[in-house]
Amino acid sequence: MEFFQYDFIQRALLAGLITGIVCPLIGSFVVVRRQSLIGDGLGHIAFAGVTGGYMVGLYPVVGALILTIAGAVGIELVRRRHTEFADMGLAIFFYAGAAMAIIFSTMTRMPSTGLLSFLFGSIITVSLTDVITIAGAGTLVLVIVYFLFDKLMLMSLDEDIANVAGINTGMINMLFSILTALVVVVGMTIVGILLVSALMIVPVATAHLLRVGFKATMGWAVIFSMLSVFIGLTSSFYLDIAPGGTIVMTAILLYIIMTIIRQCIAFKERRKEQILSSFGDE
Amino acid sequence: MCEVKLSDIHFSYNTNVAIDNISLTISQGDFVAVVGPNGAGKSTMLKIIAGLIKPTRGQVQIGGKDIFTAKGHGLIGYVPQNYGKNAQGFPATVKEVVALGLTLGAAAAKKNHQAANHITTHMMELVGVEQLRDRRIGELSGGQQQRVMVAMALAANPQLLLLDEPTSGIDYDASARIYELLGTLNKNLGITIVMVSHDIEKAVSWANKVACINRKLCFFGSSKEFDDTHAQARHLWYYTGQ
Repeated sequence: MEFFQYDFIQRALLAGLITGIVCPLIGSFVVVRRQSLIGDGLGHIAFAGVTGGYMVGLYPVVGALILTIAGAVGIELVRRRHTEFADMGLAIFFYAGAAMAIIFSTMTRMPSTGLLSFLFGSIITVSLTDVITIAGAGTLVLVIVYFLFDKLMLMSLDEDIANVAGINTGMINMLFSILTALVVVVGMTIVGILLVSALMIVPVATAHLLRVGFKATMGWAVIFSMLSVFIGLTSSFYLDIAPGGTIVMTAILLYIIMTIIRQCIAFKERRKEQILSSFGDE
Repeated sequence: MCEVKLSDIHFSYNTNVAIDNISLTISQGDFVAVVGPNGAGKSTMLKIIAGLIKPTRGQVQIGGKDIFTAKGHGLIGYVPQNYGKNAQGFPATVKEVVALGLTLGAAAAKKNHQAANHITTHMMELVGVEQLRDRRIGELSGGQQQRVMVAMALAANPQLLLLDEPTSGIDYDASARIYELLGTLNKNLGITIVMVSHDIEKAVSWANKVACINRKLCFFGSSKEFDDTHAQARHLWYYTGQ
């Protein structure tokens, strides 16, 4: 296929698929911890990091990483202090990120094309260094999730049980927040700040419709996410449209298709039950 | 040996005293029902025993060790009251949830896949949820979810099981089956059980000891004594703590 012959497409596909694996891995825990909007909050902080980093002469991605990790730590600390209003803390950080981004972007002379590439993603311009960095970050996320899988799952179900068992829930929560920040920064390069959260949440939401176990849901979420990246990137190439948006719209389309299939199955099951019960009545 | 010793426990939220000078010793193999009126500090006391809350004054010892040292050795199984807040829609199957219990206990069983499978199946059979193994926990009834949580706690092989209102929001038959299960675990496996309950009649009939609290300890002794000797005063204790 002509599509695969281009070096930039090969790099984009590789970077996109790695992101397609790690985003739903973290997203699976984010969803069951009822923190689906954390990606959006961290995304806005990342944007402030990009503009702030540029302003002080740092590589924008490094600026984004520093500020996003700081934001994630802050959100976690506020969540601990105000457990009953955890989303309130997230909202404050969300607005602070957006406000800082606006201030820094007016103070800096960063070219608007550069800003737009972070806002909407720039998967096509991913360099080999970017791919290596994304692969490194992805491997780190995979390894940590593998070793903490049971503890993260238990803490998502009930943190008190984990605490009584002697699990250091504070340390693991903090580590998870930092991992989420890392994934947001990685995903930012691929689908952009505005849509990175979608790649963490939408494939997981689609997998939830299958009503399988936790590990299977996570596995299916990764499959849906990788499919979205592959189909989205391919169609954006042939239709000449923005890849970030196309990837996310593909993920949403998969969600809609799965919802329709689920409804059809539920309808058929109800009909079957009705027919069986009518035979029973006779 | 899993003796639970509370020495001069005091706990207050700001200026509100929730627990005032409670001292008692629960012996290995006891089944203790913690009863008292709403707001008496029952759940707070259980959380102090579990090491989730640090008392303002006093000390909890489990098997001779301070609770904060004893925690993490798989000695204590805990079934909280509000575990269901995340259970609704939680995508884990019954088998996955029960297997999580192995994370709480000795790591050796978790590493051996065959042993882990065996323990998980055995615990599901023990509490009667084996046939639900592939169902998602969020799709189960309150009573079934409670059994799954007990099975998860048991998978860690605890010597002490702490339960906060295990029959809250569960229908009459299901709650009777939960009490029966706890009675069997206590008798057959010798697990020490401390259970907070609002259902005074049933709790007292299954437990061998009763701790009646209303911020202070109003009564601690055998359930027979609580039932017989203090039958008339029971309602007074229960509702006024005097």
